[in-house]
Amino acid sequence: MSDTQWSRFMVFQQAGEGEPLMHNGTVHAPDIEMALLNARDVFVRRPDATEIWVVSAEAIYSRTREELAKTIARSAKHDEAIPKPKLEDYYVFGKLSEQGQASQLGEVEASSTDAALEAAMEKYKDRQVLRWYIFPVSAVLKSKPGEAAPMFAPARDKTYKDQAEYPVVTMMRQIRATGHLEEDK
Amino acid sequence: MYGADVEQVAIELNEDPQKLADFEARIARGEKIEPGDWMPSEYRRQLVRMISQHAHSEVVGMLPEGAWITRAPSLRRKLILLAKVQDEAGHGQYLYHAAETLGASREDMIDALLSGQAKYSSIFNYHTLTWADIGTIGWLVDGAAILNQTMLARCSYGPYSRANLRISMEENFHKKQGQEMVILYSQGTLKQRAMIQDAITRWWWPTLMMFGPHDKDSPNSGVLIRWGIKTRTNDELRQDFVNQLVPDLQACGISLPDHELRYDETSGNWLTGEINWEEFWQVLKGNGPANAERMAARRNAHADGLWVREALAAYAATHN
Repeated sequence: MSDTQWSRFMVFQQAGEGEPLMHNGTVHAPDIEMALLNARDVFVRRPDATEIWVVSAEAIYSRTREELAKTIARSAKHDEAIPKPKLEDYYVFGKLSEQGQASQLGEVEASSTDAALEAAMEKYKDRQVLRWYIFPVSAVLKSKPGEAAPMFAPARDKTYKDQAEYPVVTMMRQIRATGHLEEDK
Repeated sequence: MYGADVEQVAIELNEDPQKLADFEARIARGEKIEPGDWMPSEYRRQLVRMISQHAHSEVVGMLPEGAWITRAPSLRRKLILLAKVQDEAGHGQYLYHAAETLGASREDMIDALLSGQAKYSSIFNYHTLTWADIGTIGWLVDGAAILNQTMLARCSYGPYSRANLRISMEENFHKKQGQEMVILYSQGTLKQRAMIQDAITRWWWPTLMMFGPHDKDSPNSGVLIRWGIKTRTNDELRQDFVNQLVPDLQACGISLPDHELRYDETSGNWLTGEINWEEFWQVLKGNGPANAERMAARRNAHADGLWVREALAAYAATHN
């Protein structure tokens, strides 16, 4: 059975200016530019995004609290697969609650993903992180500030997607009280 | 299976009893099982089945409504229907991805749907005959889906729980736009009132069937409840639905096609007549009014879209 699935990309979304980005899911795409477009179509049908990021799932290094507790020696395997001799910036996301998605904690500088995770665990040691996500800043494609208007603005005008537009509770109350709707609906 | 001792379950499922006990303790503590965590094979198998069927349902569910996009009675209703159908495409994507976190491949899931092997919700095998059907589907079918999805948002498997949460936030609009239309029809001209009565009459029983077989006839329910995949049974959800819809529909002057429908003072429940289970099983088997049409539409869409997939792949290959 051959696998011809497109690559998977993780999607991160900023709900409002200045807020931390949240991981909200994944999309398939043949390349990272299509991933950004697919991410907009799949995750931003409502007016709650100011910026979105996509990252290839292969570039993401993830460890749970349990896995870290069990690991004594650092595995060299991951580093061999992706050699990173020089210092690089890494984004750090962490899942902080059982129900929730991972949210943005910040950035660290390191020479490998393992080193980045160690640096993150030190820098954010006051946070209760259930699962860490580390990936190089260079692996991210972000929606550009100038693109925010065409990408996200159309959702804001479509108020008919808001459930509050449909006054069914009031309508039912009127019908129960008087047997019909009031004149001005 | 539901109340059985964990040692016994481990033996039946050929799993390590300690690992199974730890897994069940995590669920009991309210922890979410995430991709990469240990899970019994049966948990994974049940979830892949449920989630992929849920995804297929969203995608196939676009078809009965999609048929009316070109015939909406006003621009506003057209925009609303477009938005709803677009949402359903997105919901399908959330769900396919959730299934993929369990190791299912998109290709295998699509192949299973197109070959007729995989199931999707029986409700989408019925035809939408009038615009009144569109309002009816919103209030009844999406209303039923909301009950199910609200429950599944508490599911023990993280990705499925979060997918259902995201879906539930968007689904409320689907139900309310439908309910608004049904109410307006019910308060309209004689012809409009007849139209909505006819639509409700045709969609009522198939909607009740959406909740699945009676609990006693539902083979999967035991383990699904044991592992927090479902937290309420088919019959419980169905009863909630009936209790919600019957008084509201009756207040609108719409009658239900059920001579045995009655209110039981003691339980506070509206009790219905018996569902025609023969129809349910026939529709699931492929003999519903629109099964062939739905499958043909999906197969054609897949074939017609091949050039797009090939073009995207070719572009990616030359630019990476």
